[in-house]
Amino acid sequence: MKKQNLRRALSIFLTFLKFGCFTFGGGWNIVAQIQKEYVEKKKWITDEELLDFTSVGRSVPGIMVGNASVLFGYQAAGFHGALAALLGIVIPPVLIMLGVVFIYDLVRDNLYVARAMVGVRAAVVPIIFSAMMKLFKSGIKDLFCGLIAVGAFCLCVFVKMSNVLVVLLGALAGLVWQEVRARRDLS
Amino acid sequence: MIYLELFLSFLLIGFTSFGGMSMVPLINDQMLSHGWMTSAEVADIVAIAEMTPGPLGINCATFAGARTAGFLGAIVASFGVLVPTLTVGMLAAMFLKKFKESRVMGNALYGIRPVCIGMILAVMVQQSMTNYAGALFGFLSWPALVIGLVSLLVLIRFKWGVPQTILLAAALGLLLCGLDAGAALPT
Repeated sequence: MKKQNLRRALSIFLTFLKFGCFTFGGGWNIVAQIQKEYVEKKKWITDEELLDFTSVGRSVPGIMVGNASVLFGYQAAGFHGALAALLGIVIPPVLIMLGVVFIYDLVRDNLYVARAMVGVRAAVVPIIFSAMMKLFKSGIKDLFCGLIAVGAFCLCVFVKMSNVLVVLLGALAGLVWQEVRARRDLS
Repeated sequence: MIYLELFLSFLLIGFTSFGGMSMVPLINDQMLSHGWMTSAEVADIVAIAEMTPGPLGINCATFAGARTAGFLGAIVASFGVLVPTLTVGMLAAMFLKKFKESRVMGNALYGIRPVCIGMILAVMVQQSMTNYAGALFGFLSWPALVIGLVSLLVLIRFKWGVPQTILLAAALGLLLCGLDAGAALPT
């Protein structure tokens, strides 16, 4: 059993290295690749399990893709499998980004690059906006959520509160409000 | 000590973010408050991270770490952002069933998700002030404004992917800033 886990962990590591090299555009891409490789081809996990990994992965702090990889790796090959999956998914982007930083520092003062970057920076706010639109539906479920969003915006812009604190306040507000609601429903 | 500061900073980012774009406000906040990056550089990171494979959080941590403190900085920052995955994520993997049934995380997320939306709106305001800065009316850059509107249009109306949008924005930047010599200011 132990030996089989180690062999599996190695194969997970190599496969996730490959995932790590080719996954553009966020978490769902990697989930789709896990589905293809480990649900359909190798049948190590079921579709339901994968769904659990993604939904739990999203509800744990940190990088969603990393969390989903750890959840999958642990299920498939224990502790070693979890580490193997995480390392595999993380090493390629770290190496690629190191190369990018090197090039960025070389070219950023070039006139043409500077002109192109004015364009790229101008696209960043629309990109963030379109990502936010997708979050909107799952994030704002009722009036209370709307109030929290407005409150968070004001704390960031007008009070200049640290974002870490704002998130903690939001968690607290969610816990307290849901508790109050549960008690009210009981009585 | 810069390495410890980087590590702690990305540890905080990791523990208070829940995947994808919701990380951008936290990274923006930490980078600016430590003076590690300018607002324009944060915009560059977001764009570059969207163009390269791998999770946004890892890409940003590597980029920010490497630019602030070289290779070791990149490793330390990436490790910091992965700590929640290695601790909470690993525990969730070991006790998946218990975790799925727990209401606490769901209740906290009920408050955290709207906070993320409020924070993203705030970071859009802050980013707009740098990315669209220029000489028009004394404070706006016309090429940046045009590119911003075109990007918004192709993203929302024509459902373009983010990498394609960034490439278009870069091409437009080259073209329009070539017409207006003052538009590409050094950052």
